[in-house]
Amino acid sequence: MKVKMISRNPDNYVRETKLQQHKMPRNYDPSLHPLEGPREYVRALNATKLDRVFAKPFVCNLSGHRDGVSCFGKHPKQLSTLATGAYDGEVRIWDLANRISSRNFVAHDGFVRGIAYTQNGGRIFTVGDDKTIKVWKAEAPEVGEDEVPVNTILSKFGLHGISHNRRDNKFATCGEVCAIWDERHNDPLKTLKWGVDTLHTISYNPVETSILACCASDRSIILYDQREAQPLRKVVLTMKSNKLAWNPMEAFNFTVANEDCNLYTFDTRKLQTPLKVHFDHVSAVTDVDYSPTGKEFVSASYDKTIRIYNAHHSHSRDIYHTKRMQHVVCVAWSLDNRYVFSGSDEMNVRMWKANASEKLGVIRPRERVNFNYQEALKQKYAAHPQIKRIARHRQVPRHVLNAQKKMRTVKEKEQVKEANVRKHTKKSKKVPYVSEKKKHVLKEEV
Amino acid sequence: MSDDEEHYEPKAHKKLLQAIGSLGKVQHIQKSTRDERQSLQDEFQLVKGVSSAETDHAPRAVGLNDLVDILRTSTKHSQTGKKLKNIHGSKKVLQKPLEKPAADRIKRTIGYEGVTKKLGRWDAVVAQQRSAETQIFPLPSETVYVNTAANARPLNTRVKSNLAQELEANNRKLRELRKAQIGDTTDEKELAKQERLLLQKKLTRDELFARRKELAYLKMRESQKSAKARMQNKIKSKKFHKLQKRQKMLEQMKEFELLQKTDPEAALEKLNALEKSRVQERASLRHKNTGTWAKNLQIRAKYDKDVRKDLAEQLAVSRELTQKKQVSDSEDETTKKRVLPEEEDNDYDPFNPWTKRKATEQTENGNGESEGSNWRQYWTKRNKNEKLLEEHRRDLEGVQDNDEQEEKETIRKPLIEVKPAKKKLKKSKVKIENGWEVEDICPTDQKEAKASPNSKAIDDIFEKHEDHIRAKLNKKMEKLRERINKLKEVPVKGKKAKKKDVLQNLKSLALKKTKQQIEIDEPLNYEEDKNSQNNIPAHVEGNTESTEIPAVDTIDPNKVTTLVFTQKKGNSGGFNDALIDDEAAEYDEEDAAAERQLTISQAFEDDDIVADFNRDKSKDSELKNTELQLALPGWGSWAGAGISKEVMERRNKRLLLKLAAPEKRRDENKDNLYLNESASKQARQHMVSSIPFPFRSLADYEASIRAPVGRNFVPETAFRMLTRPAVITRKGQVIEPMTESELVKPDRRLRHIVDRRIKRIPKVPPKAKIA
Repeated sequence: MKVKMISRNPDNYVRETKLQQHKMPRNYDPSLHPLEGPREYVRALNATKLDRVFAKPFVCNLSGHRDGVSCFGKHPKQLSTLATGAYDGEVRIWDLANRISSRNFVAHDGFVRGIAYTQNGGRIFTVGDDKTIKVWKAEAPEVGEDEVPVNTILSKFGLHGISHNRRDNKFATCGEVCAIWDERHNDPLKTLKWGVDTLHTISYNPVETSILACCASDRSIILYDQREAQPLRKVVLTMKSNKLAWNPMEAFNFTVANEDCNLYTFDTRKLQTPLKVHFDHVSAVTDVDYSPTGKEFVSASYDKTIRIYNAHHSHSRDIYHTKRMQHVVCVAWSLDNRYVFSGSDEMNVRMWKANASEKLGVIRPRERVNFNYQEALKQKYAAHPQIKRIARHRQVPRHVLNAQKKMRTVKEKEQVKEANVRKHTKKSKKVPYVSEKKKHVLKEEV
Repeated sequence: MSDDEEHYEPKAHKKLLQAIGSLGKVQHIQKSTRDERQSLQDEFQLVKGVSSAETDHAPRAVGLNDLVDILRTSTKHSQTGKKLKNIHGSKKVLQKPLEKPAADRIKRTIGYEGVTKKLGRWDAVVAQQRSAETQIFPLPSETVYVNTAANARPLNTRVKSNLAQELEANNRKLRELRKAQIGDTTDEKELAKQERLLLQKKLTRDELFARRKELAYLKMRESQKSAKARMQNKIKSKKFHKLQKRQKMLEQMKEFELLQKTDPEAALEKLNALEKSRVQERASLRHKNTGTWAKNLQIRAKYDKDVRKDLAEQLAVSRELTQKKQVSDSEDETTKKRVLPEEEDNDYDPFNPWTKRKATEQTENGNGESEGSNWRQYWTKRNKNEKLLEEHRRDLEGVQDNDEQEEKETIRKPLIEVKPAKKKLKKSKVKIENGWEVEDICPTDQKEAKASPNSKAIDDIFEKHEDHIRAKLNKKMEKLRERINKLKEVPVKGKKAKKKDVLQNLKSLALKKTKQQIEIDEPLNYEEDKNSQNNIPAHVEGNTESTEIPAVDTIDPNKVTTLVFTQKKGNSGGFNDALIDDEAAEYDEEDAAAERQLTISQAFEDDDIVADFNRDKSKDSELKNTELQLALPGWGSWAGAGISKEVMERRNKRLLLKLAAPEKRRDENKDNLYLNESASKQARQHMVSSIPFPFRSLADYEASIRAPVGRNFVPETAFRMLTRPAVITRKGQVIEPMTESELVKPDRRLRHIVDRRIKRIPKVPPKAKIA
């Protein structure tokens, strides 16, 4: 009898030592892989699905405040430290690695309006409704010692916000006026005034450190230079801007969170039109913070959600919400580009992953390679309808859904009306088409 | 009243007045003293000093007049006083300063301009960051390289030999001596210089003479020696050389013996070296055919075949022996070549290691040579052909130029001349690759050769050809003209834009991304799929009222897969298809369009497409309209013949399978419409309906989709390159904002191997965007 067997030369597949990698003979000849396109498509589809399966962005909840959280202060050097201020004047320092509040003290009567670390992270500046600036040590006091501020500065003006210069020991406060302070003096070096309105937020440019910007209650954004005796420029929008964040990698770009549910990204050199209008929120946007890479930013809103935007896109990449999260007041992006913090009215600070489906913990090289491959595939097939549908599908709270519908109807109605007006006016009196970008900027004041 | 007047006491009244008058002079509030730097003065702290004007003895402010008066008193200064007075009279009154708001506005604009300029510095960095394929955060900081080796002192641990120690001691002494003589410096050059100076100083006249003499003597000696060496080299006497060699050997032996006694290690080395040199000398075998035996053999070889064979064998053996150690020697190589064919004659033993090696080497050599020669041949041929072609072209152009010289502008000439040349070159190349010699087109010769059978036809052909070329030329020239016009226009536009747009700089700096990535900027979809799907078509309908979506935009996965095959023929590169800019796309679009149209019409010249489609339609319906007879012959007719036909018919009827009535085709009543019903509806929802954002052409997008990225389809290195993420961050590291050092930083040295590979890929030249 003839027995046919498949025989293989063991030299071809047995490794010489245990430590060797298994040989994987491959032939890359495209004619041998006629279905490479479809196979990759399926892989991309699966990767997208898995991405949604693993999208669990919520990391933890930091509870301890006894009133709504009002502001955040990021430590410039330590990733595991976050300072938060509350409506009752309490400041808490959080140990994020252990998810506990490592220190808490009552800093002000009334709201804590702003917290800022010095450039080396050694001191904390807090401003409150009691018109004082208090300086605290960043380290907790010894056992038995009281929490005493290192210095208390009584300001002549009301204070609404504080920002510290990233390069030198100057900081700026806003309120009735914009004041530039030196750490070593109890009086401001300079007060910059333009009109009498309240300035409710202030932010130093992290790159070009002498430039700073304020948002005022007369719906304007004002630019300052700490070396000049006068403010630089003012741009007035249709509604009030709540917060302002500079892009840490693009010195001239900043984004403001506006009361009209949108965010606007401006180029400092061209303030007449924003570079981008970021839609999608359904209620006033309360806070915005850039990722340290400058590619994305996170925004908090009164509609109880936070959204993550690509800095050059007008629609959000992701939306985070939980049932118990109320109006989100402040938001921050961690300096290692991995986490997002949100503080809300209901006294909680929440920690989220910046990338919803990212794996936490150790990632082995092979895993890393696989993730990279999946990412590349998702990117490659992003425009395919099924993949796009799955990747961009989100569950949102009902009120957001309803509000969205309502907003859409309103917008459509307006469009229809505009079209009708255009249709029924004489051709000689042309109704101009105004781009969405230009609609929101009223004027630029010199 | 009068009483009151009477009561008036002048003294008391005066006192009262005095008291009232002195009221204001008393300083009740102390002037504030500043203990801290302040830019703002508190208005409550600003205390008005007691006016000193009222008190006469208080010092008055000094005016110019006072100065002049003083100067007048002395004759010495009278002139100066006059001058001062004149100046005082003729001075211009300064203009009133601007109103505060206006002045502030000016200040603001100036400040803003300064800031704008300052921010403009970041344009290049930002543009570069945006276009970077991979960004790594935290931004790699500048590295300052310090040459620590310069400061490092060599460790003094080495054991020194007696000689070295002695040398060092000597050196030290010398240095000390020098120091004592010259001064306390450590710099060697300086020392030498000083020494020289010292020496020069000391030289007297006699000494100078003596020195010159010495130098002359030295020079003479040198020339003598060199002459001698030259002479010696020329000596042909073998005996002399032999003797010399022996002498050298003897000398060396002596040296060796001496060394053996003093330093055995060195002696051993010397011995080795001697041995080696001897072996080399032997191995080179320069005298292999200079021996008497060989000489004799050579003489005999002319007449005797066997002798020749022997000689060849001897040579071969010698070569075998020397082969390994031999450094390539041109002489030997030539001899080798000469011998080779003879060796082939010898019987070849596969198991003999000598012959075996010989054989393999020979084949290798043969291949290399043949390749090399082929290659050279190829190039010489090609060059020759090219030359001939050029000549031919020149001839052709000469004809054309005569026709069109009036039209042509001097600038365009070279451009035009080059283009047709290229095309022809390609054609010629193809011919050569086949391995056949190409007979060059020589128009005059051909004409003469073929003139006799049908010269008219050929003339026609040539005319046609010329016309064709002329038409093409005209077309090209028009295009060129357009292009030039555009080029002229563009700078004007740019100027205008500059004035308008502040961000122009950033835009112009923006680099083209080598790897285009799809950007999807759409709202997230919250509703259930049904709703969203319902929504989209409605939206589309609104749009499509005016413009229909071109059918070309749909991408069929089947098509994509089939395309893989077709593309494979072109280039097997596969994965980097997307990167490679196919040159075919370079030629003008108009031409391409025209050609395409032509080919389509040509392809369907004979076919009646409409009829074909109709046939297809009817075929489909026919298939569905048939009846199937399931009865088999003989089946059921067990009883044999003679059974009534009725029964048979009834049975047959029962076994007749009638298929369902044919479905109506959707395009049944539409003559000119053919709906492909076999196309899968399931596949449709996976297909892309429009080209996604950053892509401009379907071809680009298809290419990007077609290039696989997986490890199964591309090599590992390519896989790593293709899947490198756009942003890389490190865990647990703070990403600092950009700093000013970024502005002056040189290009980062790429450390990661994948980055380096990516950099090495030749950048795709951006397509010239004309049209």
